[in-house]
Amino acid sequence: MEIPFIVNARKDTGLFNSKVGIWLFLASEVTLFGGLFSGYLFLRLYADYPWPERALPVLPGLINTFVLIGSSVTVVFAWAALKMREWRKFQIYMAITLVCAGLFMVLKGIEYNAKFGHQAVRLQGGGPVQDNAIVEGHLHYAKLGEDGLMVEVDEDRKKDDGVFKANRVLVKASEFSFVLTRPTHEAYVQEILRQAGDSKITLVEPYQVIDKSELSAGQMNRDQLVSSENAQVAEKGSELTIELLDDLEDSYLEARSHDRKIRTEFLSASWDWIRNEKGEEQAATYIVEKEVWKERRVEDGEKLKILTLRASSEVTFKVDPPFTLVLETGDLVKKANVDDSSVKLRDDTLVTGKVLKSPMIMGVDALDFRTTAQRAEAEALDPLPVIEGTWLLTHTPDHDSHDDHADSEDADHRNQFKKIWDCHMAWLKAEEERLKEKGRVPSRNDKYRVNWDQILAYGGLGYDADKVYQESKARTLKRAGLFSLDGFAGANHKIHKGEFPHLEIPRAKVGFESTFTPKWNTYYAIYFTITGLHGLHVIGGALVLGYYLFFGRKMYESNPEWLANRVEVGGLFWHFVDLVWIFLFPILYLM
Amino acid sequence: MADSIEGIKKAKKLYLFIGTLLFVFTVVTVMVATVEWLDFGDHGFDWVDATIGLCIAAFKATLVMLIFMHLNHERPMIYFFYVLGLVMAFFCMWLIGWSKSDPIQFGNEIYSDGFYDLSKPATDVHGHGARE
Repeated sequence: MEIPFIVNARKDTGLFNSKVGIWLFLASEVTLFGGLFSGYLFLRLYADYPWPERALPVLPGLINTFVLIGSSVTVVFAWAALKMREWRKFQIYMAITLVCAGLFMVLKGIEYNAKFGHQAVRLQGGGPVQDNAIVEGHLHYAKLGEDGLMVEVDEDRKKDDGVFKANRVLVKASEFSFVLTRPTHEAYVQEILRQAGDSKITLVEPYQVIDKSELSAGQMNRDQLVSSENAQVAEKGSELTIELLDDLEDSYLEARSHDRKIRTEFLSASWDWIRNEKGEEQAATYIVEKEVWKERRVEDGEKLKILTLRASSEVTFKVDPPFTLVLETGDLVKKANVDDSSVKLRDDTLVTGKVLKSPMIMGVDALDFRTTAQRAEAEALDPLPVIEGTWLLTHTPDHDSHDDHADSEDADHRNQFKKIWDCHMAWLKAEEERLKEKGRVPSRNDKYRVNWDQILAYGGLGYDADKVYQESKARTLKRAGLFSLDGFAGANHKIHKGEFPHLEIPRAKVGFESTFTPKWNTYYAIYFTITGLHGLHVIGGALVLGYYLFFGRKMYESNPEWLANRVEVGGLFWHFVDLVWIFLFPILYLM
Repeated sequence: MADSIEGIKKAKKLYLFIGTLLFVFTVVTVMVATVEWLDFGDHGFDWVDATIGLCIAAFKATLVMLIFMHLNHERPMIYFFYVLGLVMAFFCMWLIGWSKSDPIQFGNEIYSDGFYDLSKPATDVHGHGARE
């Protein structure tokens, strides 16, 4: 069948049909992205936290902008080449377009990957504004030492057995209670068994479905009601397996459904009795008023007690000897603190024992006090003293207490973050003086946020605030800046290994933690939503244009104008993809 | 749309020129956002920088639409579709602006920097009903 009006225009519209189609589609796309952009606007206008302005590394975004603009040019060139019947040139231009699409996605991948591996923590507790200091950085790695406590290991060993990211909750487990009404524990049981090692996990009490069948069942035909299997399901000391838990769960559920059936039969038998005794009309009134009925109910209740099966919905296993269970924070129903005597997993499994010291350990590449400052201002407090009182700037690190110089007179009692902050204040002072000459003041970002390149610059001067002030004043302070390659996708912990300050955050101080994913805040939620959808458009567009390049030869030979029209339509979509990015780049990277 | 060989050759030069312009204005966008002597308004990012950035983006987008997408000479039907999409997109934005004036949902005091006063309970239009 010949498709009409795909080469020549229709008289009434003056267009070939596929062009009408693509423009209708583009109109819907404009609306879709319009909706997402307005979503962005909404989240930003109503954000109750300091919006991450210019939070993304500019360079990958900038290169991607060039790449997409370049590909927009090559795609119209490819179309022009077809119009002039130059197949070879068409191939070249289209191939460049596809390479651009690939490059765009690779850069996007690098950016996403950096976000997934970058950790943020909002600290909590203490101070008039509940702290709210934010640290960003890179999680270190740890494993269990021989004493079952957490030991930090070098990142080179992250692929070794038993090495985990230093963001886990360690519990010395001595007992597990599983809830049989929640059939989701398989993954947890597997994990528990894997970690248990040589420890034995055994049932504390025999699990029985109790049935007092030897007592009288009265006029009820109990043989119909009670299944004959009601004995012990599992012996005391049975070892924990997934199959055992499945069996216990089945027995429990069977007992429950049997009980339901019995109750229904009792009710219906009672109702039959009362209808026979008093007749349909009187029955309801009789139930409410008469003593005889109450006696009957008591009698039935006794029988019910006898006939129903009773099984526990919880089974407890003891662990011998207790072992250290390493749990992801997301596995826990609520936050665990050191010395808690139990934690609850998401499937309501209760792990009894003792929560061990399980700090988050990270290399810190940014300090952000903007939320602290915002909350301080809301309380009509001066933000600076509040910031200086936060845990981050005042705590004494554990490993410093063994320092030989700790007691000597010239010992520097400030922790490393306080030193950074003091350097930052020195930098800010120089910056304030410089801007004052121009009648300007530093922005909130300048004041309350210390970026990775600042931390490195201050560290390069040995965290000496005076030197930082002098160098800032002379404008010779070496900062990596926006376009440096070593910060291509953000702070680079490989190049600057050991240069970022080490921080151990006690569990109790962790208010909220996440990688830079939608969980962290609404900025990253909308960032991933829009750029993700845009990335899918890039892939879709590249597939269509690639099809023309690799499978277009036959059509070119039989009907070149048709292929030219197809490329024009595909090109229109490609330009739209470019167009969206033209707005996305400044909005997400520069504002 | 240029259909003759001559017309297409001419159009190719235009495409290259527009491509170059887009490159240049991308650099300008970044400079306005990062170079201090091009930082208008207050120091650092503020609404002036946002306006300038968006204006440049809109200008670039217009170039792409007019030249690359051939909207400088299209049939009336295409303009109709185009405007339809645009109207709906702006309708979405307008809805957000509209919600900003919604006294029931957002009746609590807002700071000049756009944040709520979280220390005070949110109230409805009659002044009662707390957030909690």
